[in-house]
Amino acid sequence: MEKIVIIGGGIGGAIAHDLALRGFTVVVVEKGELCCGSTGRHHGLLHSGARYALHDVATAAECMVENCILRTIAPQALEQNDGLFVALDDTDMTHYAQFLLNCKAAGIPCRELSADEARSMEPELSPTIKAAVQVPDATMDAWRLAMHFFASARANGADIRPFSEVVGLLANDGIITGVDVRDHQRQTTYVEKADMVVNATGPWAGQIAALLNINLPMKPSPGVMVSMQPRLTGMVINRLHPAGEGDIVVPQRNQSILGTSAWIADDPDEVMLPADHVKQMIDLCSQMLPQLAQLPVVAAWSASRPLLVSDTEADPTKISRASEVIDHAKTDGMQGLLSVVGGKATTMRAMAKKVVDRVCAKTGREIPCTTEHTVLHHYRRFFQ
Amino acid sequence: MHSIQIKISRFKPGIIDPPAFIAYELTPAPDWTVLDALEQIRIHQEPSLMYRRACHHASCGTCACTINGVERLACKTKLTDLKTQAITLEPLRCFQRIGDLVTVRNTLFQFMQPDWSCLQPDEKRADHDLLLGGDGRAVTKFEDCIECGCCVSACPVARKNRRFLGPAVLSAINQEKKKNPSTENDLLTLAAAPDGEALCQRALACSRVCPTGVYPARHIAELRNQRKPMGKAN
Repeated sequence: MEKIVIIGGGIGGAIAHDLALRGFTVVVVEKGELCCGSTGRHHGLLHSGARYALHDVATAAECMVENCILRTIAPQALEQNDGLFVALDDTDMTHYAQFLLNCKAAGIPCRELSADEARSMEPELSPTIKAAVQVPDATMDAWRLAMHFFASARANGADIRPFSEVVGLLANDGIITGVDVRDHQRQTTYVEKADMVVNATGPWAGQIAALLNINLPMKPSPGVMVSMQPRLTGMVINRLHPAGEGDIVVPQRNQSILGTSAWIADDPDEVMLPADHVKQMIDLCSQMLPQLAQLPVVAAWSASRPLLVSDTEADPTKISRASEVIDHAKTDGMQGLLSVVGGKATTMRAMAKKVVDRVCAKTGREIPCTTEHTVLHHYRRFFQ
Repeated sequence: MHSIQIKISRFKPGIIDPPAFIAYELTPAPDWTVLDALEQIRIHQEPSLMYRRACHHASCGTCACTINGVERLACKTKLTDLKTQAITLEPLRCFQRIGDLVTVRNTLFQFMQPDWSCLQPDEKRADHDLLLGGDGRAVTKFEDCIECGCCVSACPVARKNRRFLGPAVLSAINQEKKKNPSTENDLLTLAAAPDGEALCQRALACSRVCPTGVYPARHIAELRNQRKPMGKAN
């Protein structure tokens, strides 16, 4: 069957898995280690969707559907711990009724808790909280979830190549024919032929498109996360308000991971953290969990969200997190090249389905997607 | 902060072979980690530099390497914590080297079985009522072990004997048998095999370098204590 080259070893794992299940020949090339971009370094929230309930019910509903699917197909990549949305003050309480309504509309099961009930479950919560809502959020292991997809893709024949950087896109008469790959281990550059190429490089997608002078204006939007020890809660703790900065603490193993801020960067490789963001995360999150203000920082880092410049919303925390598959045959007259942008780890399986449905349409094949019901191989299989 | 020198053991099969140290100068910000420094060297000085990284916060274990002779995670090791301006980076020992700082930990995963659970019951929250837990699913959290390989690399026995199950696998065996008692006999037999805990010389290096507080030496001691009374019965 057609050979599809996927550029990007993050969500590329989910795409490779879906393509391989549908019988395509698959090669994944990633310039560094798998998951070294955005997919591997988010805060590790398996969204119930409640975080988007107040401003993007469609994304919230999609998250809930995918949340249930991932619990079935990759249970070893997820803690079973749920999440709380806590209202800290009267302003937060003005959003309470709408939050519940929108969660219901998005199909997210909720349990209303009094402040006392919430604090009996999570004693580290601030004594001043007004109320809380329990939702089926969970903690995911960002690396292991993505590696479940890679393990499954490889078991079904996909060829996964880390440390292999695409340095050129090859085209002939408006049809993509392959990619130039720099092998960082052997120090050679080679041609990998392809019937189609999928650009799944997240915030780097604009740089890849530019190799063919295609304008794909990405807006890398990094956010700062701060890891502290120890873990203070069992559940994920969110602030019940329109999603903003410094309003989530994801517990994981013995850590509490605080997030996040958002700004617009020019370069997704940007690693410098604005110094005040770390303090801001601690200040804001300790309003929910006061003990955080006393804890040592294990690590602070940033990850770039893959947002498209066409978004008109100026505030990056409000930009839709829906994903989009761009067919460059339609937008740029380049047959055989797709880019996938936007989205989030929780919805990576659904994003992959959307991409592979498009690959099927482009290649004239009618093969149904089965990833929803296919239990993934354990990530350890990738290394065996 | 002043300029520092980072010496990296470089290796490209057939090209930089045998491995050689190459020094890189850079002027880091005060809060930089070793991983931040590696990123800056790759972006600005050496695009072919190979190292592993994903989560940047001590959860994935990929960035484990040897920093001034000691196994550590590059992502949570601050340059200032090393208290020296001469830093030497080498790959983990005991594993097959692919290039530069990258090793494959296949020998770890060869023994670490996929059906040993990565999750443990969260006993502090056993009474939490999960929303999707209608079938009585327990509240869980991940095991502390991130399978980074630091303990194996630091173990004096594993360095000499590649067949030794090693501290990470023995710890996982000990945890799994507690969570899943029906497997206890099989797991104790595995741990008591000739390549199992009997080879441990109690150097405790594993517990000293473990970046997530697993203390593998304690797990090995527990396995050893359980072996004695069962010895002849099996």
